[in-house]
This record gives sequence, C-alpha cells and structure tokens, in this order.
Amino acid sequence: MTTPLTKPSLDDPRIAIPAASEWYEPAPTAQTERQAEFLNLRDGEMFVNMGPQHPSTHGVLRIIVKVNGEQVVDLDPVLGYLHRGVEKLCENADYHQAICYTDPLEYVASLFCEAAPTAAFEKLMDVEAPRRAQYIRVLTMELNRIASHTLFQGWMALDLGGITPILWSFIERDEIVDMLAALTGQKLLYNYYRIGGVNGDLNHEFMSRLGNWMSRAAAQIDSNLGLMNENEIFVRRTRGLGRLDAATALRMGVTGPNLRATGVPFDLRRDHPYLVYPELEFNVPTRDEGDSLARYMVRIDEIRESIRIIDQVLHEMPDGPVMAKLPRLIRPRPGRAFGAVEGPRGAYGVYAISDGTDQPFRMRIHDPSFVHLQLVGPLTRGNLIADTMAVMASLDPVMGGVDK
Amino acid sequence: MDRALATALTERFKSMLLAPVRQRFDETEIRVSVADAIETMRALHDETEFVFEMLIDLCGVDTGEEMQVVYHLSSSRSGDWLRVIVPGIDRSAPRANSIVSLWPGAEWMEREAYDMFGIIFEGNRDLRRIYMPDDYVSHPLRKDFYLADDASRSPAAGVRNMERVGTPVDATRGTALRKSPGA
Repeated sequence: MTTPLTKPSLDDPRIAIPAASEWYEPAPTAQTERQAEFLNLRDGEMFVNMGPQHPSTHGVLRIIVKVNGEQVVDLDPVLGYLHRGVEKLCENADYHQAICYTDPLEYVASLFCEAAPTAAFEKLMDVEAPRRAQYIRVLTMELNRIASHTLFQGWMALDLGGITPILWSFIERDEIVDMLAALTGQKLLYNYYRIGGVNGDLNHEFMSRLGNWMSRAAAQIDSNLGLMNENEIFVRRTRGLGRLDAATALRMGVTGPNLRATGVPFDLRRDHPYLVYPELEFNVPTRDEGDSLARYMVRIDEIRESIRIIDQVLHEMPDGPVMAKLPRLIRPRPGRAFGAVEGPRGAYGVYAISDGTDQPFRMRIHDPSFVHLQLVGPLTRGNLIADTMAVMASLDPVMGGVDK
Repeated sequence: MDRALATALTERFKSMLLAPVRQRFDETEIRVSVADAIETMRALHDETEFVFEMLIDLCGVDTGEEMQVVYHLSSSRSGDWLRVIVPGIDRSAPRANSIVSLWPGAEWMEREAYDMFGIIFEGNRDLRRIYMPDDYVSHPLRKDFYLADDASRSPAAGVRNMERVGTPVDATRGTALRKSPGA
C-alpha cells in the first residue's frame, strides 16, 4: 500500500515561505534630484528590469525601464558590472604593460584600444614609429574596423529579430580575425602595438590570407548587405527610429559614425590626423537623417572606405624596420600627452601624465561607448520597449569599454 | 601646433589664465581657476573665433597634493586638441562646477570623476556613483587608495584596508607608512 498523497499545506513548517517584504528587493532610495524624479511613479507606470543578463544588451548591462503600458517613459542604465579598474591597474604597471591592460576594454576591436595609449606614450617619449610600422598599424586597424562593423551589422539584425545576418557577418569577421591571429598570435586581444612600432613584421601567412580575402571582400560584403538593405522589414523598422540631430549630438559629446550619421563630417583621421592617414585618400561618409538606419548605413559606407584604404596601404607600404630604437624600460620625462584615434565606435582617447618614473602617473581612458550609452534614455523616451534595443543596437556600445 | 590659437587664447582670456598657454605637438593647454572655469568653457564653446563645440573628454586627476579637472576639446576651426586644466581643487573637499548646462553629455563623465575621485560637481543633477556600488565608501583612483598587492608589500600590510571608512582627510593620515619600520 502506498501512502496517500497529502495536499501540501502552507502551515507545514518544512515549507518556508518568505515574508512578503523579502520577495522583492526594496525600492532604492533616491540619492539625487534626477533619481528622485525617476523613482517617482505616476498612475499606470511601473518599472521593468532589463538585464544584467539580457541577450541584447551587448554585454553585462542593466537597464531599469519605467514603462506606461508598453511605452517607455524613462530609463536608468546601471553600469559597473564589468568594471575592472583598468585606469588604476595601468597606473600600477609600467608603460608596456599598460598597453596590454587596455586591450580587453573594447574586445570587438581591441587594436584601437592599443593604438590610443601607444599614441599618447609616443608623444610623451617624443618618438615616432618607423614608416613601415605606421603603415602596418593603419592596415591592421582598418581590418579591425571592418571586422567590428560587419559584426555590428549582424548584431543589429539580431536585436531586431533576424537570425541569419549574424551568421553571415561572422564569416567575414572570422576570416579577418584569423588573419590577425596569423600576424599577432591572438584572435581577440592582439597586444600587437608597441611604443615606437609594432611587434613583428608582416608574415607570409597573413599576406597570403589578406590577398585572398581582398580579392573577394568587396563583392562578398556587398552580397551580405543585400540581405538587410533590401529587406523591407528592416528598413521600415529602423527608418525614423531614434532620430538624433546634429546640435544635440554635439552637445552630448557623440563622436564616430553616430555623429557622422547626423551630418557632421568629424573624423579624427581627417581632423586630427595621426600615423600616415594624411597621405591616404578616403572619404568621410555622412548621412543627414540621424536615425537608426542612417547610423547603420554610415557604417556600411565606412567598410567600403576601409577596403579602399587597405588597398592603398598595400600598394604604398615601404620596406624598413618596424620598431624604433628605444630602451627596454621606458621613463618619459615628466609631462602630459593626449593621444586619440578614430575607432569603429568613435574617438578613443588616452590622457597620460608622466612623473618621470616607469609607470604612468595618471592614465585616463576615454571610451566612446560610454558617452553613447547616455543617448539611449533621450532617444527612446516615448517609444516602445522593443525599440530600446533597436536604438541601442544602432548606437553600437560595447560594455567592456563602457565599464572599463 | 596652432600658433594662432595660442595668441587668440592669450588675448581673450588674459588674466584668467593661471599660466601661459603651452603647446606641444598638436596639443594646446591652458589653466584656469575653478571660479573661471565655466565662463572660460562657455566662451570657448560659443565664441566664433574658437567654436570648441566638441567635448572629447572630461576627467579628474589627483596629483597627490591637489585635485584637477581636465577637459579635452576639439574645434572645427583648429587642428589642435585644446586641454583646459582646472587645478588647485582642495583634496579634502573637492568641489568643481558642472558643465552639464553646456554639454549634457558630460553628465556621466562627471559622475565617473565623482565616483573615482570624490569631486563634487555643482549643478549636476544626477551626481551619484556610476561604476562602484552605492554603498561603497572610498574613491578608487585617488592616490591614497592602494591596490591590494601594493598594500601587502608595504610595512603597513594587514593594517590598511582597501576600503577605508572615513573622510579623505582621515585617509591621508594613515598613508605615510611606506617607509621601512626601522627607518
């Protein structure tokens, strides 16, 4: 005989039911004027928590969304889940080590994160990389830009609900990443740039892969684009969404493709030239609409310009050394320097202060994703919840850089 | 190096500059006091001879003796980076004026400087921690905040806590222990 099943009773002491007050996290208390405004719920409004683990937050980001029905009233991003204190680590490392600490900031295009401190430290040391090294830097950076933009294209489609484009964009990205792995030995965090040059000359495997890829790159990327550019759902979904005008963009400190999508032709490669960019011929693509579609289109145009730059670099690359002669232990004279490069997301900047020792006294890292993430709030107010992610995807933030 | 910019800056701001304009490579550097900072930034942003419309970076700096707020600006009129240093901020109670009215995008960068250095920006409506948790008490990028291994190497190992409760003034008192015990 089996024992009859008994109905579980709430009075059973083995079943612990937490008191109602323990069910939810207590509502946070407002620390600032703005937060008090945010936490004040009007009739019909409620908070919805997105993240920290959410497929479309591009990393570990939590967004508290205040909604009325399905309409976003306000939102408050909560950062810091990926904070590693890179600036502090760099201040406690020597100049060479500091460069490899910056690598994982922007894990999608980490060569740019290396390029910014390298530029700043070279200014501190008053050295210049040999011309061949400068060309190699431009070549690898443009490759990395294409890798980042193709991934953006897939991500954006994924956030809007299309699965296929990301598979296609990973084909291109994988090819570039493998190429860079052949050159640097790493697939993601390259640690390739050195103060005064690069770590190793171009090798045979890299060049042959690059040659293969260049012969079909433009055609391949164009055919991938057809998947989205001619997709009516995608175009109608993104057109007019998250519209940003030029004046606001400038006031918000926006840089990179997001700024150029509003019609401001600001590109560090042109306006604050570095390396051999002044000798290369390329356009700065802009769009006037400033919406999600424009931000997407600007990036696509940039891929084409990057291919053009790579083509020129391969034709004009001189022979010679790839490292300047420098002491092993670098001790710049006391001083300050700001180095910035145009990354796939905007201006990466490093402000370095030297006090004459072998460690940077202060190293400030500016990441464009951090600034752009501020826009998610203003751009999505009044839109639907699903559009929050569409707008965020079009701004293309990478949380590793946002949280530092 | 933009010589014309240096002359224009010297002429426009004259006595407001705490030090002569400095230039190196493509950087131009000026220093203004906390009281003059907002006026300077507004002039740089609005006046047609400067048009420094783009705020590229805002950061705090702790020199060990004082706090600084450093701005990097860019203009369509000049190929130089303009660095505006606001020095001489008291370390024990750092206060500066917010530029959120000029660049709303500076809000988070000021929050970051507050989080990392404890600099209070007057006029920023949302000045709370951005990276560290709300109940965190110290400001990690200050020079009296040591990394764990740094602290363990010092003679005061085991005494100093990573997170020191108290005001920055209390914090500075316990940090001169980097000499060896016999000295």
